[in-house]
Amino acid sequence: MEKSYFDLLIIIIGGISTLAIFSFLIKENVFYRFFEHLFIGISAALGVILTFKNFLWPKVFYPLFGLDIVTYPDGTISKEYNYELLLLIIPIILGLFYYFIYSKKHAWLAKLVIGLSLGVSGGLAFKGFFNQAIPQIVSSFKPLVVILEGSVNYLQSFNNIVFLITLLSVMYYFFFTIKQESKVSKGISKLGRYLMMICFGAFFGSTIMARLSLLVERLGFLMTDWIGAIKEIF
Amino acid sequence: MQGKTRRFIYLFLIISLIFPLTTGYTLKPAPSSSVNMFFNKVDSLEDTGYAFIALDFGPQSKAENLYQAKVVIEHLMRKRIPIILFSMYTLAEPILESLAFEVANNLQKEIDGEYWEYGKDWINLGFRPGASLLLQAIPKSKNLQKLFSKDAKGNDLKDFPRFDALRTINDIIFLGQFTSLTGVFDTYLQFFKTKDYRPVFGHGCSSITIPESHIYLDSGQIDGLIGGIAGASAYEELLNNKYDKRNNKEASVLNTGVGVAQLLIVILIILGNINFTKLKKYLVK
Repeated sequence: MEKSYFDLLIIIIGGISTLAIFSFLIKENVFYRFFEHLFIGISAALGVILTFKNFLWPKVFYPLFGLDIVTYPDGTISKEYNYELLLLIIPIILGLFYYFIYSKKHAWLAKLVIGLSLGVSGGLAFKGFFNQAIPQIVSSFKPLVVILEGSVNYLQSFNNIVFLITLLSVMYYFFFTIKQESKVSKGISKLGRYLMMICFGAFFGSTIMARLSLLVERLGFLMTDWIGAIKEIF
Repeated sequence: MQGKTRRFIYLFLIISLIFPLTTGYTLKPAPSSSVNMFFNKVDSLEDTGYAFIALDFGPQSKAENLYQAKVVIEHLMRKRIPIILFSMYTLAEPILESLAFEVANNLQKEIDGEYWEYGKDWINLGFRPGASLLLQAIPKSKNLQKLFSKDAKGNDLKDFPRFDALRTINDIIFLGQFTSLTGVFDTYLQFFKTKDYRPVFGHGCSSITIPESHIYLDSGQIDGLIGGIAGASAYEELLNNKYDKRNNKEASVLNTGVGVAQLLIVILIILGNINFTKLKKYLVK
């Protein structure tokens, strides 16, 4: 598929932006700073525009102002105005209360809606936590001897034993209400700490992998799309 | 001196990454049981409902999530499962618009006489704000077509006859969610289900969040997991094995680059430690 000059220009700007960000590897410089701020600005602005374009305008303002009602040449209309839509004004006003945060006299109005949204968020988080955590708790009850088709599955059994030891020792490590003084309790706590360190090692390894993936994708873009676009233009 | 050494390391790293990109050399990806589970679940789907694909990622994890989503969408298109694209992440908008078209074009080039069209094989609902509130509305809705009402371009969903049967969450047979944001993934885990029904749930995560996502695979809250570019590469290998004419190794090339760079990092760590030990001995003397 042929690319238009506009598409090619976008690719070239993308390549220049990538190189500007990579220039940080040599040292901090003005190009890096400029493109970093550009990215942050675009991300923030895009969010606002898309929320307005995809949600506020078509779902709220357009029907609220009755703009979806068509008047035909004979004077009849496509549909009656739905007066229930006027209820949308209440959340709009409540949302606008947020801006009273800038007024010393009326800041309490902003606090009112902040309190309301905190309550809603808390309620949602509470409900969500149970939906997410209960299956986790249920799945932590594992058989220590797994029997499959009449014989012991040693690998799965070992896996489950490791799981149980890890679960209990890590939980014990975070048990701060009693003093861990005896050799046994100190040992369990230490085991929990070491097992967590293994986990953090895995996290660190996978983080490196993710960062390398980002780098290799950008290099691929520069070597194929970007150089290709430059060749096509010149 | 330290700054110069650091720059040499960067240079070595970039050269090692460029090698597979220029030569097209690929290493076979390591098989992954979580990817196999994902693949088998998608492969066993039948055209009895819709696949809901949530692309909740932007440029920050495109390198991994994009290739994961691409192989899964391709698999679904090959199986002629109608796809609903969706996102609650603003920066995903351009990806939502282009990805399915790109996959459809590639498939049309590969398979003569078969076509995949917008509105028939997939629709794009675009970015939707509201996050957890919207996701809670999905299982409660008695008419999802009415809930979403329009696609990203403002077309009425009623104008797409293949998506006419979209009513409740029970009509969604597969949920594929791709993100590097654990909070967003958690929202789907928590709310994209009813008391009696949850669609087959496959998740694509970035390499960073693999350890966190695995616990949900273990507990059965998800049915398959594609982790990072390595996962996308493993899925691609499964597609190449299943479909004879397919020979696209896009993800595998990137995965090979990552593998080579990791090998270089391991070598540098070993050399650094040997050097450090020698220096320590010298200082003790």
